Amino acid sequence: MKRLTMSKKRKLNNIALVFMNLPIMLLILTPLLYTLSISIMPPSEIYKNTLIPSSISFDNYVRAFTNPAYSFSKYIQNSFVVSISVMLGQMLTCSLAAFSFSFLDFKGKNILFLLVLSTMMVPGEATIIANYLSISKWGWRNSYQALIVPYLTSAMGIFLLRQHYLAFPKELREASRIDGCSNLRFLNSIVFPLSKPALGALGAYVFLNTWNQYMWPLLVTDSDAYRTVQVGISMLYDIDAEALGLMMAGVIIVIVPSLSIFVFMQKQLINGLMAGAVKG
Amino acid sequence: MRKILSLCLALTLLAGFMLPVSAEKPVEIIFWHSMGGVNGEAIVKMVEDFNKENEGKIKVNVEYQGTYDDAINKVKAAGMSAMPADVMQIYDIGSRFMIDSGWALPVQEMIDAENYDISQVEPNIAAYYTIDGKLYSMPFNSSTPLLYYNKTAFKEAGLDPDTPPTNFDEIIEMAEKLTIKDADGKTVRWGFGMGNYGWFFEQWIGKMGLHYVDNDNGRSEEPATKVVFDENGGAAEIFKIWKKLFDEGIITYLGRGNTDAKAAFISGDIVITLESTAALKSLLTNVGDDFEIGTGFFPNIHPDDKGGVSIGGGSLWMLQTGDDARQKASWEFIKYMISPDVQAFWNAQTGYFPITVATHELDAFKENLEKFPQFGTAIRQLHSTAPEYAGSLLSVFPESRALVETYTERLINGEVTVDEAVQKLAAEVNSAIEIYNLTN
Repeated sequence: MKRLTMSKKRKLNNIALVFMNLPIMLLILTPLLYTLSISIMPPSEIYKNTLIPSSISFDNYVRAFTNPAYSFSKYIQNSFVVSISVMLGQMLTCSLAAFSFSFLDFKGKNILFLLVLSTMMVPGEATIIANYLSISKWGWRNSYQALIVPYLTSAMGIFLLRQHYLAFPKELREASRIDGCSNLRFLNSIVFPLSKPALGALGAYVFLNTWNQYMWPLLVTDSDAYRTVQVGISMLYDIDAEALGLMMAGVIIVIVPSLSIFVFMQKQLINGLMAGAVKG
Repeated sequence: MRKILSLCLALTLLAGFMLPVSAEKPVEIIFWHSMGGVNGEAIVKMVEDFNKENEGKIKVNVEYQGTYDDAINKVKAAGMSAMPADVMQIYDIGSRFMIDSGWALPVQEMIDAENYDISQVEPNIAAYYTIDGKLYSMPFNSSTPLLYYNKTAFKEAGLDPDTPPTNFDEIIEMAEKLTIKDADGKTVRWGFGMGNYGWFFEQWIGKMGLHYVDNDNGRSEEPATKVVFDENGGAAEIFKIWKKLFDEGIITYLGRGNTDAKAAFISGDIVITLESTAALKSLLTNVGDDFEIGTGFFPNIHPDDKGGVSIGGGSLWMLQTGDDARQKASWEFIKYMISPDVQAFWNAQTGYFPITVATHELDAFKENLEKFPQFGTAIRQLHSTAPEYAGSLLSVFPESRALVETYTERLINGEVTVDEAVQKLAAEVNSAIEIYNLTN
């Protein structure tokens, strides 16, 4: 009897929580929903402050995908190739670097680490022209490597993972050494599984950052074959002939793939979090 | 023997097949543009048509390069090593930079080489891109500012819907009749409203028949060294109008640029506004059947101003690639883009001026004019302007515009007086010009 009331109480609690969260969720989602609504409403309603369209039309989406001036399926494909490569690349290079900065002892370690950290203070915009000149000297303009290679590592990622690794008990490393475990094996079979949440967070962050890049892809690519989604959105905009509906349709087209990746990855992120919590 | 003969035959046949193929390899050129949305779609269509017509001879690769600012920055970065494109669309205010950079191949050279009849290009538009009698780039997408008004509201207020205001005295007079206030004295509809847009400032200087900068308004061989709108009193006159509009409560601040003013006009919150001719189509689409839109000439500062409007928009520049075949192909492409039929299509799709005079005779253009009679005002305004008011050329126009907008804001907020605003504005633009001239 008592148990039943407990579970009932819990249920009530849950319902209350959901009701409290609903308005907050709506508040956060409103801009996104309004974007969606603009993309499907008739053009004459856009400036009348209407929230819900009187009739629904998907013309803007059809136009974005079929008009020869844009090739959105290609942009999405390119963005996936670039974002996933950069994400995997950073997860690999940053974890290796972070491993040496936290588990290994060598001369000049701290100075080297400070040097790496100091690159965080240099804004990306400051190096963009230098990077551009290198890339074009190597003949890499208009290629995937121009979009991927400059972003294969980051001081932020190294710092994030190093802080995480520092929390590992030293005994783990010592015990495995006694058992004759090599550095790479230790990294692969002990550090990686234990740092899934940190790696997942880094991956998500890097993926989104790369997905949202605009200036660099615009600078190093000239043709549609290597253009990414954000450049695609800007193609829908014109100062004199703005078509808000079309632009908003572009925004939705670009958001959906990245959002769905997160819905898909969320489970893994939480799994990783749990694993760390129990084992660590 | 027979074997050898047949082999020879086969070889000649093979050669016969191969030769014309290698001879017909088309010249490929790259065209960079900055048109998004509907305008970009129209450009892609025009290039596709050109490629179809010149199949086997010329192939144009059309590439979008971001906004005008993005594109010019990109060519600045790429230009350090090699020209990244053959033909490029650059905005009006990038003209002086392109001339100074030495990267451009003046289209005048192509015109002279084949005695091309340039008189078919609208003289008032060509004048903007002509420096020292040399046409540097081919006008392509040109627009001027225009006055837009809500005819339906004019009728309701008892004003003649066919007589738009022509100067600020009339605007103030009409705005007072058009403004609607609620019971608390709060304005619910403004008679007049305009964005704080640096482009308008340049236009009014030209409308008063004055110069913006020295060295023949930046059009002589030597680039401009300083602004003159402070000495000739032009800036003060414009700032006085802004101040008067606010002091008398005629307008409310609608932000920098045009976006907010446009939205307010579409939703009916302001009755008279100023906008580019190129915005006509999107205004008509967005307003729909809510009210009737009328157009008038861009207003004068004083009733007796004798100057005119200058064009804005972009033009097609040929870049110095050093490749003769590609430059010839580029010139063919540019000629196609300004041919009357193509310009009629361009005008109908976008609302930019047809820059070729012969376009006016085409049925397609006449039909379009019948459909949108408001566009006729733009053409009349363009034709009533003398080429001598082509407008100024200045390398640091982007900065200059931003500064004009900053000081207009500070003036409205009461932080500076009219005289202080003029002085400080002139000083800051002058120092920007000085830095540019020292580094280029």
